[in-house]
Parts: sequence; C-alpha cells; structure tokens
Amino acid sequence: MMETDACVHPCPAGNASVRRMALEAGALGLRAIVARDAMPGEYAGVRIIPALIISEPDIRKVSGQIRKRGTVGTLVLVDAGENGFNRSLLAMKGVHVLRNICRTHRNAFDHVAARLAEASGVAVDIDLYPLVHARGAARQRVLHRYIDLIRLRSRYHFPLTLSTNACSVLDMRSPGEMQLLCTLFSLPEEDAALALSTPEALLQPGEPVRVVR
Amino acid sequence: MKARPPTLREKKRYILAGIWPPEPEPDPKELYGAVLEAVTSLFGDAATARIRPVVISCGTGYVLLRCSRGCEKQFRIALATLTSVGERRVVLHPKATSGTLLALRRKIPPALPSREGEDGVVQYLGKEWSARRYHGQKIDLLEKGIKGQAPVYITQDDIEELACSHRHTRWDTTGQ
Repeated sequence: MMETDACVHPCPAGNASVRRMALEAGALGLRAIVARDAMPGEYAGVRIIPALIISEPDIRKVSGQIRKRGTVGTLVLVDAGENGFNRSLLAMKGVHVLRNICRTHRNAFDHVAARLAEASGVAVDIDLYPLVHARGAARQRVLHRYIDLIRLRSRYHFPLTLSTNACSVLDMRSPGEMQLLCTLFSLPEEDAALALSTPEALLQPGEPVRVVR
Repeated sequence: MKARPPTLREKKRYILAGIWPPEPEPDPKELYGAVLEAVTSLFGDAATARIRPVVISCGTGYVLLRCSRGCEKQFRIALATLTSVGERRVVLHPKATSGTLLALRRKIPPALPSREGEDGVVQYLGKEWSARRYHGQKIDLLEKGIKGQAPVYITQDDIEELACSHRHTRWDTTGQ
C-alpha cells in the first residue's frame, strides 16, 4: 500500500520546491505525493506523481485541456461544479479525481453522481486544508459537507482520495494525522488508509479501482 | 495537604511532538495559548475541559505535552490543526505517546548534528537569501532585508541544479 498525499502545490504555486516536499513527505511516512505541474520521478524514496488540475466551468474546455495536457502517468484532477457539470465529468474519460467538493452546493454531488463515480471509478477528493486552516462556521460547513459525502459513500462505495493541498511544507500532514482528521467526519481509519492508496490504483491502466472491504 | 492515593489520581498521557521550524524555540506560554485555541476551536469548551491540554516543556525541535488519559486521540487531532504560534507559522507532528514522562524523555531526539542550524547566504533565483541549513538536504531561505516574508523551502539539490544550469547557460553564451 502506497500512502499518497493526493495533491500538493510546490513552487511556483507554493513556497517549497517539489524535492523539499518529497523530502518532508518521506520524513512524515508518505510513500508518494501528487504534485501540481511537476515532472514524474522519485526523490528520497518518495514517488512524485504529476498532477493536472483543471478549473474550468465548461465541460468542453475540460475535455480540451485533458486532450492537450493529459499524459500517461499524470493524475487528472478536476474542480467540481454544479450537479449537471459533475455528472458529465464523472462520465468523461480521462478524469481521475473530482476535487473541491467542499466548495460546492450540497446538491452538487447527489446519489446519482455517487453511483456514476462508483461505476466509472472516478475518485472524490477530500481536501483536509479547510479542516486544518478554517475556524468556526467555515470549518463546520466543510465537516457537514464531508459527513454527507461519507453517508453517500457508505451506500455507493466510490473511491476517495485524501489531500492536504499543501502550499508549504508546514501544511503537510503524516498519514496518521490525515487518518485522525478523517475521524472528525466519521470516516473509519481503515477506509482513510485505503483512500491514501487510491491515487496509485487510479493510475494503473486496465485495472478497475476496487474497494476492498 | 495530603496527596490523593494513586488510585484516585487523574490518569494522564504525555505526548512528544516534533516542531518545525525548530528555531527559534517557541515561547511555552504562547505555544500553550495556540494549543488551547486549536483544541477549543475544534472540540469546544466542554471537551477541552475533559482533555486538559498542557504544554510541559519546549526544546529545539520538540515539545512535551500532556492530556487526560483516553483523550489523547482527540488531542492529537487538535494538534494537527495547529498552524501558528503567535505570528509565526509552525507545525507540530506527534511522535510518541506515553504514560510516564520519563519514558517519553528517553525518546527525545539526540543533540543536533554539526550541520544543523548552520546559517549562510545563498544566491537563488537571482536574489540573495539568508539560508538556514539543516541536517540532510533541507534549506530554509529568507529573502535578505525583507521582514515578515514567508520563507522558501528548498533542498541542497535545488541549489546545485540551479548552479549547474547557470554554468551551462554561461558555457552556451561563450560558445556562440
């Protein structure tokens, strides 16, 4: 099992180089990081998986970006939007992860989208950044959103990924800390451990993502 | 006052956490305020009273904390949400939990290797930075003359690669 942080933002988006992030990830016990716009490789025993993050409100622009920039070995993460957009994304070839679900409206990811995610093997990303950095009502909203997501997952078993969305080495968390943070919204530690290894499974061609129970 | 018998005393758990950046050492009072804020904002006053978070001592790169027995999981979750002490960005990574302080003190990392905390000046991205080198490859950069600026975190390999690319550029120019 390869514990992976499903999204980090090294330089220029963040203030740490991809090598330093890999070094810190290794020290924390992670075996891989998915780094935005990085080159694939390995550093200090930590695998660096390049990520393509797409933030487009139009589904045609998303498919255009995947065609243009999506390469083998790159994890494609797309920002979620309203319900219809998300359903189209989940049916689209080449999309690996639906991210920023906590920033969307509650109805943006419903039971139909959950079933689609399960059928197409697209993972839903749980962003731990707002849980760590937000306070008060903002954090409560995010927790409520994730509780709802976990309720859907218990029925439809779609894959999950866990990400810190770290822009600095100070934002990175160990697999144990990530699992503990997930208990805040009732995701069992075993399922959180499984979610940490999902990016590796998503990149293996020809093998469907399996939820091992 | 007569001390309570051991069976009636409150049971405690001690946590050893790594702190980054290790220097300068945070003020224990400020750190206690930050820990209390992190626990209270996440679990509320009632749970914080049950957890009873305490900062016992701070050292270079580590901190010893205490909480009630049975609440260590909640306490570790709250520690994961701590992002700053005062104005300074820090992160705490719990390393070990123990029932006695003595056992935990044995796990405190040994004295710093010679290279750790070495200061210097480096050229990076065309600017002059004051660099703090740590054991291994880690280098923290702070732009010279700019106060309150967020540091840049790189490795020795990043600097060497940059120097190498500059050499190649110069060679190419000479070649033309």
